Amino acid sequence: MKRLGLLYLAAQNLRRKPFRSFVTIAIVGLASGTLFSATLLIGSVDRSLEVGMERLGADLLVVPEGYQESGQAALITGAPTSFYMSRSILDQVKATPGVEQASAQLFIESLLSVPCCTGRAQLVGYDPDTDFVITPWLVDNLNRPLEKDEVIIGSLILANKGEQVHFYGQAFNVAGVLDATGMGADESVFMKIDDAYQMAADSSMQAEETIDVRPGQISSVLVKMTPGTNIDQLTQRIKTNVPGTMIITANELSRSVTDRLSGFTRGFIAIDAIVWVMSLLTIAAIFSMIVNERQREIGLLRAMGASRRFVFRLMLVEAVFLTAAGGLAGIFIGGAGLFIFKAVITTSLGIPYLWPPLLTFAKLTVITLLLAIATGAAASLYPAYSSSRLEPYAAIRQGE
Amino acid sequence: MTVSGNENMIIIKDLSKTYKVGPSTVRAVDTVDLEIPTGQMVSIVGHSGSGKTTLLSLMGGLTKPSSGRVLLDGINIWNLNDKEMSLLRNMKIGFTFQFASLMPTLNAIDNVRLPSTFGDNPEADLSRPEELLELVGLGDRMHSYPGQLSGGEQRRVALARTLMNKPQLILADEPTGDLDEETESDILETFRKINEEGVTIVIVTHSRVVASRAQRVLRMTKGHLTENEE
Repeated sequence: MKRLGLLYLAAQNLRRKPFRSFVTIAIVGLASGTLFSATLLIGSVDRSLEVGMERLGADLLVVPEGYQESGQAALITGAPTSFYMSRSILDQVKATPGVEQASAQLFIESLLSVPCCTGRAQLVGYDPDTDFVITPWLVDNLNRPLEKDEVIIGSLILANKGEQVHFYGQAFNVAGVLDATGMGADESVFMKIDDAYQMAADSSMQAEETIDVRPGQISSVLVKMTPGTNIDQLTQRIKTNVPGTMIITANELSRSVTDRLSGFTRGFIAIDAIVWVMSLLTIAAIFSMIVNERQREIGLLRAMGASRRFVFRLMLVEAVFLTAAGGLAGIFIGGAGLFIFKAVITTSLGIPYLWPPLLTFAKLTVITLLLAIATGAAASLYPAYSSSRLEPYAAIRQGE
Repeated sequence: MTVSGNENMIIIKDLSKTYKVGPSTVRAVDTVDLEIPTGQMVSIVGHSGSGKTTLLSLMGGLTKPSSGRVLLDGINIWNLNDKEMSLLRNMKIGFTFQFASLMPTLNAIDNVRLPSTFGDNPEADLSRPEELLELVGLGDRMHSYPGQLSGGEQRRVALARTLMNKPQLILADEPTGDLDEETESDILETFRKINEEGVTIVIVTHSRVVASRAQRVLRMTKGHLTENEE
């Protein structure tokens, strides 16, 4: 037969008022869950931006005037868009001092819910002769350029390498799948710009809708700056040299996402701070109540030989049990909620999202759990101390 | 039971306990001197509010005296720190109270086992709770919770718990209050057996029947302790 341990006694005590224990767990769970899911969301947006910017591979993007926002949306969330400008813009951009490389891209929205097409995607035609975004990936992963009617697809396009996808009545072979970025690239299909022009030309015969684009038109120019160039000055020069265009910089993209998140972040900080303070006060109140209710029992434990330290630890362990359970529940529910509602959240906030690496996830889990436990310990500190200072006789008599 | 080697289990010198009640001071225990030889069974009688329970609590280190000394088995207990005092209560003293003093979340056997949790005796006999529950006639109720036991059964479990760490001194405050005669008789019989093994027992009681079982009867009157002359 075993001795009774502190943990066993604490667990037995918590079972006596299941509803009260549940309320404590729920409020700590709410605080932990909010913190965990919101931090995870913000961290995932940051990671997505980091990975997405690396995938974008350009310092800035030149788009037709008036299309800055839809260009940003396409890059950030993959919202399909199409806008066109003259190919001569590419040459003007190239000629701007401070531009090291410039390459044109063509954006075409896929058709939705029609038999000819795979589904929602942003079709991007790139120029293999000047491209510095897709080509390095091809070198690293395929070790060859794209063939005619081959495409590289983003991670969210529902197809695998070797399969075929269909756009505007035309079949394309999937030569590779890009790693997830959480940004628009995940919902994009990259093809050679000549294939894109050909697809557009054939669309009048093969598709339900015609793509209204001609060779000589492009959607954007990706720019890589000469090292040492000031991005603001280059932006200004392009605006001056190339009228009718707008510039999207990588910084602007980040800022745009940050701006979209700022309201959410402020709201989250306010709500979470309130919830944490509420849980702190609730636990403190509950444990003061517990000490009051259990005065006689505490007196009896002391009469049986429990030291002040034991009583103090017993109360503290009870609080830690509850808050650890609340923390774990919050982490689980917060994580699951984010997983389930990720699409709704990212779409409504217009933000990119990429699950963090396992290590970051584990760190966040541990930090949230420790914070929950620390809250329980801090809130129960005074009640635990008071209970340990009760004079046994007085405690027994007051409990009568 | 471990029997003390000291001639006197309890020596009390000039012991007083005063309380502030509003503007006035109540002397619950007033300059009490007492010696209880080891192995004696003593009862303390007196009216309600005469200070009997307070005196018992002072003997057991449950409340601090306003003045005076309590020597338990030769140890001045109020010179001990909390850890030493807790250990002393755990190892040397067994308390029984005038109410059902069981932990509601623990079953009978866990309640009996509870005192072994606090001591640091690695040789504690962990099969003892079962023997003790058999001794008090509750061998078949080991896994019952206090709420499933009658008042008398709860008292008997509490008595078994008192004996768990083989105390040298039992301090019992109205141990048979509001119990039927049969249960009272069972409990007193258990006390008698324990006392025969050399354990010192101090019982605070209103009951003449209970008091009459003791070898010595003391009377508490308004905080003063005297030998009972009746």
